[in-house]
Amino acid sequence: MEDKKVHELLTELGRRLTEPVRPGLGEEIKQRIPHRLSRHKIGWDTVNIIIDLRLSKSVAAAAIIIAMILLLNLFGGRGSSVRGLVQDSVLLVKYWGREDISAVRSKYEYLLHRGEDVKWYGDSIDTKDSRAVLMQQRLPDGRYVITFVDGGEKEVDSQELLDLLGRMLQGKAG
Amino acid sequence: MDEKPKLAEQKPGLTYPITEQRDFGGSGASARQGQYPLSARLRAGDRAAAAELVDAYYEPIYLFMRRLGHDRHASEDLTQEVFFGAWHHIGQLKDDKALNGWLYRIAANVSRLYWRRHKHNEVVGIEQIDLPAGSEAGPEKAGHQEQLELVRAAVAKLPVKLRETIVLHYMQQLTIAEAAEIAGIRQGTFKSRLNRALRSLKESVA
Repeated sequence: MEDKKVHELLTELGRRLTEPVRPGLGEEIKQRIPHRLSRHKIGWDTVNIIIDLRLSKSVAAAAIIIAMILLLNLFGGRGSSVRGLVQDSVLLVKYWGREDISAVRSKYEYLLHRGEDVKWYGDSIDTKDSRAVLMQQRLPDGRYVITFVDGGEKEVDSQELLDLLGRMLQGKAG
Repeated sequence: MDEKPKLAEQKPGLTYPITEQRDFGGSGASARQGQYPLSARLRAGDRAAAAELVDAYYEPIYLFMRRLGHDRHASEDLTQEVFFGAWHHIGQLKDDKALNGWLYRIAANVSRLYWRRHKHNEVVGIEQIDLPAGSEAGPEKAGHQEQLELVRAAVAKLPVKLRETIVLHYMQQLTIAEAAEIAGIRQGTFKSRLNRALRSLKESVA
């Protein structure tokens, strides 16, 4: 087969290889947008938006976050109960200013929901330590993917995981 | 005369439609927000902008995963993971021109990580996508369809790295420079992989 023909077939294949996406996938992804998106330096973009909206930064942030939480809870979020609202608020306060942790937490909740073998250490570690283990996920082959506070990921075996967790506990005790 | 809905002004290189914003308060606040590029609003931590990004990209990213050979279930999971990655790395986003490449780079990384973790699962999910018939008629159509099937089967059998080059360049219609950036390799390396992939394909369908 000629080069040109192969190129044409590949291009056509790309055009034809398509299928409908499951309805609801986009909404599921949107529901898991963290309360606080990842760390950003407050720059002119933010300042301009706030100036244009003629709102103080804290009022604007509070209004947006409260509205998002309410909408999330009212329209098919993680539960439309008062408990869900309280839980979200607690998480929001807890990880306020720690957007990196908030993003990993969202991922943890998603993996948990998906039935993965995951553990969250965020409640018991020193989150100022960027190399503390925030979350572990057990892979089908018995190894683990661990996520650090700084968002870094590493694949380790069970022994390495134990060492890391042990070191973390020692650090906390010390 | 019916007026066609206007698309928001797009910068050159922006390959997604900017969706209309809702104005909950009727104050025109969202119209003001619309003046700002999506990337700027994402960097500013705007969740509505994040939802816009999802609307514009979840389908293309899902199909990208399917073309890379992941099965349906894995593709859905990986699409979710791509957006988790996006939320986490939003600070790295420069401008709207870079948005497409930035998101596909995350997607390619997520896919590669998946293959690394599930080596035994390196399946050919691409086969599971239905290949709709073209517009040709008669024996020509049959022959053409057969050739397409052959090429598709050959692509599915390629090693992951080579398959990725074919998908990025031919199926996602990216230039060598764009595709190499997304694959995280130099252009020379990308070209060399692409040539190897094409050689292998030609041998398979010969």
